Parts: sequence; C-alpha cells; structure tokens
Amino acid sequence: MQGSISNNIRVLRFHHGEMSQAQLGQRIGLTRQTVAAIEAGKYSPSLEAAFRIAQVFGVPLTEVFQWQAAASD
Amino acid sequence: MSHREKTAWLSLIALAVTFGPYFAMVAINPPSGSLPNLRQLGLYATVAIVQLLILGAGHLYLRRASPEEARMPADERDRAISQRATTWAYYVLIAGMIVVGCIMPFTTGGWTLVNTALAMITASQVVHYGIAVLNYRRQA
Repeated sequence: MQGSISNNIRVLRFHHGEMSQAQLGQRIGLTRQTVAAIEAGKYSPSLEAAFRIAQVFGVPLTEVFQWQAAASD
Repeated sequence: MSHREKTAWLSLIALAVTFGPYFAMVAINPPSGSLPNLRQLGLYATVAIVQLLILGAGHLYLRRASPEEARMPADERDRAISQRATTWAYYVLIAGMIVVGCIMPFTTGGWTLVNTALAMITASQVVHYGIAVLNYRRQA
C-alpha cells in the first residue's frame, strides 16, 4: 500500500517560540539537516524519533505526523 | 551542508584527483606485465600518500571550520545513508572481484591484474561516497 507522510513540524516550531531546526534537532538527538529533511517530507524518521518530536511539542504523535494513503489504494 | 556530507565530498574529490590521473596514466602507458615493477609501485605509493595528505588536511580543515558539527555523532539518517551507500559499493566490489579473481587470471596477469583490482576497489569507493553525496543532496 502506497501513501505519503506529511507533518506539521514547521507550524509546531512556530507555535513554540519559533524554535529553530537546530534547537529541535539538539533536543531529540538529530542533526539540523535531518530535521530539515523530515520537515520537507524527504525523510521518514524512526518511530522513536517521531515520538521524541511529539514529546518536545507536548502533542500526540498524530498531531505531528499524518499518513495519507494513495488515491488508487 | 552537514559535516558528514562535506566529508563524503572530500573523500570523493580526493579519490578523483589522485586515482583519476593514476588510472588515466596507467591506461595510456600500461606498465610492463612483470612483477615487481618498482617504478609502478612507487607511483602507486605516491598517489596513496597524496590521497592521505588531502584527506588529512581536509578533515582537519572541516573539523576546525565547524567543531560542534564534527563532534556530533551520526544520527539515524546518517546511518541509513551510510548503509545504502555501503550496500551499493559492496555490489560493485563483489562484481569487480569476480572479474579480477575468476575471469581475468585466465587471460592476463601481472600489473594489469593488480591495476584492475585497484580500479575495482577505487570504483566501489567512488560508488560509496557518490551514493552518500547523492542521498544527502536529495535529503533522503
């Protein structure tokens, strides 16, 4: 089954005092470039990293990441 | 650009500027087939030393330019990229070793065999760093 993962990290960073990608990366043990790749939807993080991101923003995982099945599925 | 991407570029450039000319020279002016050939061995040693010097100076420069990034351990994306690059490089190396170890000994020998083996090892390294750079560029 094909689909795509989207995320609200940019919005959540904005709502958390315009937290920088580097700051978020530092708090979850990822590089700024990896955070940028996740935010751009180019890299899907591990479940553990995804939970860590949600924990930093204090929201459930589904509020950070959404999965959309492809139309043909 | 992340520190790991910079180091992948550095390794790729070091390979290109050292082993590129070496293999071009060997292709244009093949060494005599007899072993040992000290002139050829000396040329290879020089190229290997120049590559080490470029890598050493490059790593030192990159470390000084961004010490914090250099100290950061590889994260999960770095590891995924490294695994992908290693997998592709392994295929190239195995294919090369089959050619050099199982096919070429029946038709040739001496420095041709040695240089082909070196070329295959270098090709696998080029593929390794090339795939890493490509993945970093794509952000994948």
